[in-house]
Amino acid sequence: MAAVAHTEHAHGDHPPVANQSSRVDARLLGIYLFIGSEIMLFGSFFTAYFFARVVVGAQAGDAWPPEPYHLPVFLALLNTIILVTSSFSMHWALQSIKRNNRQGLIAGLTLTFLLGLTFLLIQAREYTRIGFAPQDLAFSSTFFGLTGLHGAHVFVGLNLLAYALVRSVRGHYGPKAHDHLGVEIPGIYWHFVDVMWIVVYVTVYVL
Amino acid sequence: MLSIGVLAGLVTAAVAYFIPWLPDAAAEEAGTIDNVYWLATIICIVIFGIVVGVTVYSVFKFRARPDDEEDGSPIHGHTGLEIFWTAIPTALVTAISVYSGVVLVQNEQADPGRRLVEVTAEQFAWSFHYPDEEITTGELVLPVGQQVELKMTAKDVIHAFWVPEWRLKQDTVPGIFTRLLITPTKLGTFPVICTELCGLGHAVMRSRARVLDQAGFDQWVKEQKEAREGGGGGGQGKELFASAGCASCHALADASATGAVGPSLDESLQGKDAAFVKAAILDPDAEIAEGYQSGLMPKNYGDTLSEAQIDGLVEYLLQATGGG
Amino acid sequence: MIELHEHHEPEAAHHAPPGKPRGLRRLTAAGWLRVSWVAPLAFGLATGLVYGARAAMGLHPYWEFPVLIVAWTVIVPLAFLIAIGGFDYWFYWISGRPTRPEDHSGHGARSWKDYFRINTDHKVIGVQYVVTTFAFFVIAGLLAVFMRAELARPGMQFVDNNQFNGLFSEHATLMIFLFVIPAFAGLGNFVIPLMIGAPDMAFPRLNALSYWLLPVAGLMFLSAYLVPDGGAFAAGWTNYVPLAVEQPDGNLFFQMGVQWAGASSIMTALNFLVTIITMRAPGMTFWRMPLLVWANFATSTLVVVATPFVAGSQFFIMFDRVLHTNFFDFNQGGYAVGYQHIFWFYSHPAVYIMMLPGFGIISEVLAVFARKPIFGYRLMALSLMAILVLGFSVWAHHMFVAGMGPWLRIPMMATTLLIAVPTGIKVFSWLATLWEGRIHFKTPMLWAVGFISMFVIGGLSGIFLGAVPIDQHASDTYYIVAHIHYVLFGGSVFTIFAGVYHWFPKMTGRMYNERLGKLHFWTTFVAFNVTFFPMHWVGLRGMPRRVSDYDPVFGDWNMVMSIASFALGASTLIFLYNMIASWRSGPIAPANPWRALTLEWQVSSPPPIFNFDEIPQVVGSPYEYGVRGARHAVFNGSRAEVHEPEKVGH
Repeated sequence: MAAVAHTEHAHGDHPPVANQSSRVDARLLGIYLFIGSEIMLFGSFFTAYFFARVVVGAQAGDAWPPEPYHLPVFLALLNTIILVTSSFSMHWALQSIKRNNRQGLIAGLTLTFLLGLTFLLIQAREYTRIGFAPQDLAFSSTFFGLTGLHGAHVFVGLNLLAYALVRSVRGHYGPKAHDHLGVEIPGIYWHFVDVMWIVVYVTVYVL
Repeated sequence: MLSIGVLAGLVTAAVAYFIPWLPDAAAEEAGTIDNVYWLATIICIVIFGIVVGVTVYSVFKFRARPDDEEDGSPIHGHTGLEIFWTAIPTALVTAISVYSGVVLVQNEQADPGRRLVEVTAEQFAWSFHYPDEEITTGELVLPVGQQVELKMTAKDVIHAFWVPEWRLKQDTVPGIFTRLLITPTKLGTFPVICTELCGLGHAVMRSRARVLDQAGFDQWVKEQKEAREGGGGGGQGKELFASAGCASCHALADASATGAVGPSLDESLQGKDAAFVKAAILDPDAEIAEGYQSGLMPKNYGDTLSEAQIDGLVEYLLQATGGG
Repeated sequence: MIELHEHHEPEAAHHAPPGKPRGLRRLTAAGWLRVSWVAPLAFGLATGLVYGARAAMGLHPYWEFPVLIVAWTVIVPLAFLIAIGGFDYWFYWISGRPTRPEDHSGHGARSWKDYFRINTDHKVIGVQYVVTTFAFFVIAGLLAVFMRAELARPGMQFVDNNQFNGLFSEHATLMIFLFVIPAFAGLGNFVIPLMIGAPDMAFPRLNALSYWLLPVAGLMFLSAYLVPDGGAFAAGWTNYVPLAVEQPDGNLFFQMGVQWAGASSIMTALNFLVTIITMRAPGMTFWRMPLLVWANFATSTLVVVATPFVAGSQFFIMFDRVLHTNFFDFNQGGYAVGYQHIFWFYSHPAVYIMMLPGFGIISEVLAVFARKPIFGYRLMALSLMAILVLGFSVWAHHMFVAGMGPWLRIPMMATTLLIAVPTGIKVFSWLATLWEGRIHFKTPMLWAVGFISMFVIGGLSGIFLGAVPIDQHASDTYYIVAHIHYVLFGGSVFTIFAGVYHWFPKMTGRMYNERLGKLHFWTTFVAFNVTFFPMHWVGLRGMPRRVSDYDPVFGDWNMVMSIASFALGASTLIFLYNMIASWRSGPIAPANPWRALTLEWQVSSPPPIFNFDEIPQVVGSPYEYGVRGARHAVFNGSRAEVHEPEKVGH
């Protein structure tokens, strides 16, 4: 993009303002690329799952999950609904601050956090009751690997939401675009966590 | 420039032709693989000649004097040339690809009259089982001219089977069977080399492949069977000596074993008693013979062989080395 | 400088730098003093955590060494990074306090001490990277010299089998993760913001953090030698299962070191991508970017997409070892070859990560020292993109003999051989750049021309290996070792040397000694070829790789290669001396000693702390040598005659 020659001066002890050569905000681009690399990390875990289930499992002709294990498909569906709802509340939070509705922002973030926490707690409880351990078979190793990786990402997401919540209570966010990146970026991460769960759920529990 | 390029090409060609890069081919598959090798060599000689020719020429012809501040000719590109050096290499690599594919398919045609040998690799020994003849040995002996299917696996970690004169190589993986089809065409003795890092003893994990004529092979089979069944008592022990892969590393005249990785049993078991021999099998690192390394002999014979089997093996070894 | 500011204070008067902390506050201020007490504390905390958790869960024994190693290698580096100040600003943000406006006082290097702390200046970080990576180059090179000493004669003379296996494993690991990949990151870090007319990288604090992960990873790999039973990891840098799972505990240091090195790599790549996309000077379209920028753009994409796979691969090994999972145990439904697919899905792009920036460096050096535009600029840029894309489709050529599904070999062979086409385009274009040039053989140019011939040899041996029938013979032999070193040493390392010499004046403000530089090149070039060329032959004749001993028939050639390798090691000393002596007391360098056109040469040597007084306006291609009146960029808003070069050449 050709621009008029700027003369962005430095004053000797601070830098000139960089030219913006793209419409995309640098920090948003950064989070999208980071999410790209996280998707690839999940990819490697899905690959391990593929090897255990398709390459080895199919050859052996066994059922999947192997006898006598079962997966709590229905409960995981409830958990999916919880997480999807949290994405909606996250969206509501972001929309609120865009309209300068601070109460909505705080309420949305709080709801998202609580829903996410519920998801995590239900998952943790299921881990103890599921009837198999990571050490049992490749099936259980890949199951705990995938869901565990996802759980770790949810935990990180909850942290990000907590920081954003603290700052929203202190009134640090505003309606202008550059004044609520601290909400938007955790929001993007949270949507990623949600979408990734849907993929994990469908692959592991449904198919 | 042409002359530099041609010269470079000729030198490279001479290097390629007169130096024996590959061991003498001793299998049918090796012959076709070598054809692919020569095709690639010719193509690479031409390309290398061009690259060296242009480089050396340019380096001399276009060198600037130290005080020369002029720029070169502002040539930005040449579409025709760029198309040329995109299209030609594409054609060349496609040719190599196609020819290689043909050779691959050709080499992997299983002959219905082939012989099956089951290969098992473990840290750090080979064992070869002949299901038809029902013998297990530490070295691979084959009749010339007949295709053999090696059905291979490993017991512990990934190893790999390679005989350079046959060219073919394949990893042996625990839990799955991998396969090689080989048709030896020359008599002789060739090394069997492990080529996948498998631990401490990777460098010494070797055995032998011997290719005999049909008569010689039949004779060898007969000898192996006799050695299994009798030949001075402890018949079960003698079979175990072969199937446990001892011959890969140890020499023992009675079993026609010539392994050289560990001490020769004919020598090292002289004057020893049953307790010593048993301990040497179950706990190899307790006492290491002079000049040999620890950590190479498999330590798991206590797990893989039963007490009775080990006792039978010990009895056989003492009797075979004239001791006990 | 881009910064997060939700609570923006108006641009107030410029702040004076904060005073140095006094008394007890020195212990809590970011820096090495804080590290000195935080790191041991974290070590104790990690140990206590493991012990306490295992005791609470009733897991015996409480002192489980593998679990302890994992805890130490996660918690202690994190504590180190926090203590040295890598996260200070973010903790401040997390705690919810209003954002501080950046006072830039900590930015840049005014004394040598500034190189030993968290510094957000990309130029400082670039130098930190280059110096650190060369330290690991020397260490890894010494490991290689030990190997060659052992291999000089058949039989075992100096080390035992396990130690030898550890030597080549550490050598490769350090060279790959602590030298080649980060050295390019460091050179790029220094040069690219200048080259695109930006005051710094997009995320300077992230940049600083990604540097400090490097010594962490390096120390972690070397710490494997401290493990009492069995010592360093010895399953090769490829760490195949099941061997890796049954190896002694030192292997865990490899697994965790890869995570930290990988994280560093990904963070830098992210930074490069965002910087290149969002911070180019006005007028610098993608088609006016220097090829080094294109090359790092392609490389960074590779890093972001591929590196998580190697992280995953080592996670699985760690889980199998420490948690006793069964990703790879066939008795429990695991698939050993699956590890290789996951590992090589990263590690093949890794070799392009280790080469593409080098391609960029060579393009820069050739244009400058042949005083000619790069031939076929557009196709050069596109070929980088082609290699990037194709690079993801060839990984199984490392597994032709691994026992994977046989059908996979044919498409992988096709894509592998095809990737020679864009690479060939680059080689031919460089040759055409030399043609009709005015070539000045300064040291960087020697390395560049040497690179072309050595890389072609490596690339051609790669063609041989791409053909499955040939690979069936040559795989896992010394032919592979020859191929690797021709493309990684004759390829990547030659380009790193070219880059270091080329930008040495810019980075240090001094000129290196030209005669020593040339001596370094020629001794290296000869010793390198004598060391590695015979490996093609011994490999094809029957010498496998990763062996501590070999058939005595190869004894003579191994002796020759070993002696040459000692010479190769010695030649590096010439380089080290030249660098150190020149940096300390070499002649002062002018701003543009090479009369180059790209932006980094239009500012002083070394550049001002904030790079530019004002952002330049880019008006043309960076390679318009020989075109009268052509300008790449203008400064000061001056309306100097801007000559858009006509398309010369047909």
